[in-house]
Parts: sequence; structure tokens; C-alpha cells
Amino acid sequence: MSARGLVTRDLRVAVQGNEILKGIDLTVEPGQVHALMGPNGSGKSTLAFTIAGHPGYDVTSGSVTLDGEELLGLAPDKRARAGVFLSFQYPAAIPGVSVANFLRSARQAVRSGDLSPAKFRQLVFEKLDTLDMDPAFLGRYVNDGFSGGEKKRLEMLQMAIIAPKYAILDETDSGLDVDALQAVGHAATSLRESEDGRNMGFLVITHYPRILRYLPADVVHVMIDGSIAKTGGPDLAERIEREGYDVIREEVATARA
Amino acid sequence: MPSGTAAGPATLIPFAPDAPTLERALAILAQDGSVSPADAVRRREALALFAALPAPGARPRRGWRHDYDKLTFDDLVWTTGRRRQPAVGPSVTDPDDEPDLPALATENAGGLFHLGATLLEPDVPSAADSRVVVLPLGDASRPHPELVARTLYEIADWRADRFSALATAFENCGAFVYVPDGVVVDAPIQLVWANTAARNEAVFPHVLVVLGEGARATVIERHVGDGDPFICGVVEVHAGERAQLDYVTVQQAGEGARVFFRRTARCARDAEVRWNLAELGGALARTVLDTQLGAVGGRAETAALFFTTGFAHVDLTTGTEHVVGPTTSNTAVRSAANDRGQGRYVGNIVIRPHAHGSDATLRDDALLLSAHAHIDAVPALEIASNDVKAFHGATVGSLDEDALFYVSSRGIARSEALRMITLGFFEPVITRFPGEALRDEIRTALDAKIDAATETA
Repeated sequence: MSARGLVTRDLRVAVQGNEILKGIDLTVEPGQVHALMGPNGSGKSTLAFTIAGHPGYDVTSGSVTLDGEELLGLAPDKRARAGVFLSFQYPAAIPGVSVANFLRSARQAVRSGDLSPAKFRQLVFEKLDTLDMDPAFLGRYVNDGFSGGEKKRLEMLQMAIIAPKYAILDETDSGLDVDALQAVGHAATSLRESEDGRNMGFLVITHYPRILRYLPADVVHVMIDGSIAKTGGPDLAERIEREGYDVIREEVATARA
Repeated sequence: MPSGTAAGPATLIPFAPDAPTLERALAILAQDGSVSPADAVRRREALALFAALPAPGARPRRGWRHDYDKLTFDDLVWTTGRRRQPAVGPSVTDPDDEPDLPALATENAGGLFHLGATLLEPDVPSAADSRVVVLPLGDASRPHPELVARTLYEIADWRADRFSALATAFENCGAFVYVPDGVVVDAPIQLVWANTAARNEAVFPHVLVVLGEGARATVIERHVGDGDPFICGVVEVHAGERAQLDYVTVQQAGEGARVFFRRTARCARDAEVRWNLAELGGALARTVLDTQLGAVGGRAETAALFFTTGFAHVDLTTGTEHVVGPTTSNTAVRSAANDRGQGRYVGNIVIRPHAHGSDATLRDDALLLSAHAHIDAVPALEIASNDVKAFHGATVGSLDEDALFYVSSRGIARSEALRMITLGFFEPVITRFPGEALRDEIRTALDAKIDAATETA
């Protein structure tokens, strides 16, 4: 069915009157990995926040559908329950709320009551192991005093526990050392190999092809100034790393001229 | 005569904070033989002070709904707790029966249960742990004349403010808790004041806690019920050398209740007093927690929280005086206000010239959950000694929208996210309360208040 996938159509978004996204068309099909690259300020995070339902972004036109269901107009929690997961570039701290409680609440909210407490516990410990995280993590307050790497691991832990239909990874690989990147990569890989995650679609916002070693992209998009400037295969990511965005920018300009 | 054991219909008089009412009260107390000439003198003097002293705190700011000068005492009755009632029929400690009052913790080392000012017996044994003395204050001097004479009013300064004076003038119930040298009690000692809507009383408790050398105990003072009483009391705590006391107050009085307390502690050498205060009920609650660190090694820990909703108003003052050094204090206060709830927190730390090497920390955070809510935070540090460590910090803020969005993005509805973040905000103070059962009780009570608040939002 053509409606399957996380789909944006002519998505235009303004923040305080300035148009940031100028008509984005994307289709992430189940099981696919799409990489979204582009220079800082090109609108990648705006796209991520808009899909997740951040109240600070005004959608001026277009649509966002998840397997045919319109997400625009839904509150963020309803979008999450529909199957969207956003791994935040800068996750907020929730002092006083333990990781264990938070994970349980999130799993419960998205997939109400599908696991017994014992099974849930087993799942959490499995995923902790995959991410090479100390179980002591569970007793800490969510993102409170976490290092950058710890925050990203916790994002991946949440993704693994929730097992959403579609995940948007907003620079989850930025600022990670090799070990942390590997842990994040393994979390994504093992999720895709699991029953729950086999058909998960990924939109991976990144500056570097290195995370794509773990999550091989089927499609690579380059966003420049709020538009998708170029779409290609995995080789496009390698080219960008070699040549930078300016070459793409020039190509686009030449093509338009 | 066997003091304080008379059973029978209590004499009720309309309450007013004036001399004729006090004289009637004294006459009633005299019938029980429970007021000495010295007591009567002190009570009359205290009433005069109540009339003369100004309202506490700074001049009421604009927008404060409660002006202490305009307190009314209509429809309140005063009775003496010296006439006791046997607890009859369905136990008031059973939550399934009327009146609907929270049950006591199942395990305790002793306690007293009051309905209004009247002591109910014998539902709670006067001392489940035989090493501990828990008595109505009026009965304490007979078995412990020397100890009571030495400690009563020794540190409770009834001249300190007008409400302490009022509490002293009309004192009509109280408790004496004595934990002798070296006795360590794990289960809490519970002092309960319950009020039902059937009768709005003016209740004036006086609690005296004495811990001997090396003694350890937990005292939980509770205010429960759906009545609208006026409760005005004093608490004094003597912690002997190396003694450790957790003094917990859980104030869940009715929506219209007014609850005023001054609680004062003094720590002997190496003694530690931990105040744990949860103000969760009432229309107007005023609390002063004072700790005097007058001997080397003394330690004062204060963990206080309040949550005001509707039109409720909480006024909290903590005062820690480092008289000598090294002594240590750590104060943490978390408060939240919703609807038109208001709060004020004044945190005073005084470090005297001889308190060398002392260490004082005060941290106060307030959370405003509505545009009409208001909390003032006034930390004050007075340091007259070098080579001390002192820190204070205060924040007042509203709910973090980024955090709300983050939690919502995990599928958790906004109202639930708000509850989670608000409860989390209190957690650093809740974790300082003793015992998981008590901590869970506080969490549940806060949860219910958040529920009520989000329903009206």
C-alpha cells in the first residue's frame, strides 16, 4: 500500500514567521534507512522536531503521515503512540525521575501493558547489555548530570525498549567517542535484527558517514537551506565527506541555472 | 488525685483569643487540677504578648491573601484534652470507617491519637516499646518530675512570636516523648492530631521530646482529617550527646484548616536533629523550624516541602544558629504552587563568632505551576566567624517546557508528564525523609494534590 511509511509531503514550517522548511518530500518506508545530511542550520533538526510535534514549530502547509495516519494536529504523545520516536540531539534532564521509572512509563504509554514486570525487566537488562551500560544507570535520574555519551546511550536504550515503527536519530552520533558510537551502532543493529525492529524505518540525521556503517543507508538526502537539494545512494554520503557541501550547493545552483 | 484520667463529657467553650475566654479555660483546667499558679501566670502573660506582638514576617506584601492581623476565630470551640474519651465503636484509625482518617503506620514504638484536643485511648498503646516513654504532656511531671522541670519551656521560647504566645496561653493537649540514654528505637513514635468536619476546634498542642545520650528515635507528628480546625502549637526537642532524632511532620489537615507551629531543637555535643516537614494541607500553614547548634559536633538537617493549591498559603521559616564550631547544618526546601496558591520561605543561617570550622548549606527551589501562583524565597546568611563554609542558593521557576516535550515525545500524555516532572522536582527532598513507607506516603499525597490541580487546570 502506497501510504506505508513515514511520509512528508510539501512540508513547510515556519518559526516566528521565518520559513525554515520549504516544501519537504520524504518517504521512509518500513525497514529502510534514510540518511539526512546537510550543513548546520539547513533545517534538519526542524524537520525532526516538526515530525515529533514540538509546539514551537508552525506547519504552514503540507502533511506528515505515518502508515497513512496524519500526524499533524496530534499532540507529541499521540505521535509517539502512533509509532514515531525521536532521539534528541540535546535530551532534556528530568531530575527526580529514575531511568527505570521513565523506561517503564514510556513502554507502558506506547505499548500499554504488553509485558509482565519480569519480562520487562529482562528486556531492559538485555538492552543495557547491548549498549554496554551499567545497570546502576537505572537508578540515576533521567539525563541529570549525564555526559554527552551517556545521554545518547540513554536515547538508544529508550528506542530499544519502545521499539517504535520509525525512529528519527537527530545527530545521535555527534560528539561520541569510538566506544560510544559502537554501542549506539550495536543498539540500532540488534534492534533491526530483532522481531520487534525488523520493519523499523530510520531517518538518520548526521554529518558523518561513520554511523552509516552500522545503519547502512538505502537513501541519502542532502538538505540545504530548508529544501532537499539532492537525493542519492550510499555513495552520496561518502562524496559529501570527501568534497563537502559546497560542491553539492554549486551543482544544485548550476542545475537550476 | 489521678490526674488526667477523668472520662466524661468534655466542656466546650467558644474560642476567642481574649482574656475572658482564657479565664474560662483556666477555670476548666483548674477542675482537673492540671494548672498550677505558675502556669496560670504564664498563660495570662502569653495572652498579653499575643495581643501586643506584631504579625510575623515582613509587612504583608501586596497580593497576600492572608493577613495575620485579620485572622478570625469564628465558630471554633476550645476544650481541654485532659478529659479523655475512650475510642469507641469503629476505630478512627481504620481508614474504612468514618471518620475517614488515614491509618497510622502499622508499626510504631508508641504514640498518641487526638481527635481535636481530646486524647483518644487506648487504640494506640501509650508505649509499644517499653523502653520509650510516650505520655500526654500533662501526665509527664508525675512520673518524671525532675526531667520535665528541667526541659519544659527550656528552649521553646513562647515569647518568640505571637503564635507561640497564643499556643502557650491556650495549651490544651500535648505529648511528652522520652527516649532514655542509649536507647535506639527503629519504629516511629506517632503523634496524631485528627479533626473531623463535625466540630471545628481550636487546638493548642505542646510537644516535648527528650533524647538521652546516644539515643536514637523517629517521631512522626501528623495532622489529618477533613475538619477546619485552628491548630497552633509548639514543639521543643532536646537532643542529648550523640543522640539522633528524625522529627517528621506530615500536615494533611482539611482544606479550611489553619495550622501554626513553632518547632525548636537544641543539639548537645555530636547530636543530630533531622527535621522533615511536608506541608500538604490546610488553607494557611505557618511553620518555624529553629535549631540551635550550641555544642561541638552538633548537626541539623532540614528537609521541607510544601505544595499549595487552590487559595492555600504556606509560610515557612527555618532558622539555624551555629553558636559554636565546628557544627554542621544542611537545609533543603522544595516548594510548588498551583492555581492561586502562595508560599513564602525564609531561610536564616546565623554563624556566631565562636563557630569556627562550621559548615552551613541552604538550598531552596520553588516551582510555579500557574501564572497566578506565587512563591517568595528569602534566604539570609549572617556570618560572624572566619574559616567557615557557608552556601546558600535559591531558585524560583516554572515548569521546563523542554522537559515536558521530551517526556511527551515518549508517548506520555502531557498531564502525566507534568505529574512526573513535578513529583521528580520534590524527590531530592522526599529521599531525605526516613523510611520507604513514609516516602511513598508523601509521594502518594503529592500525587493526589497534582491530580486535583490538573483537574482544575
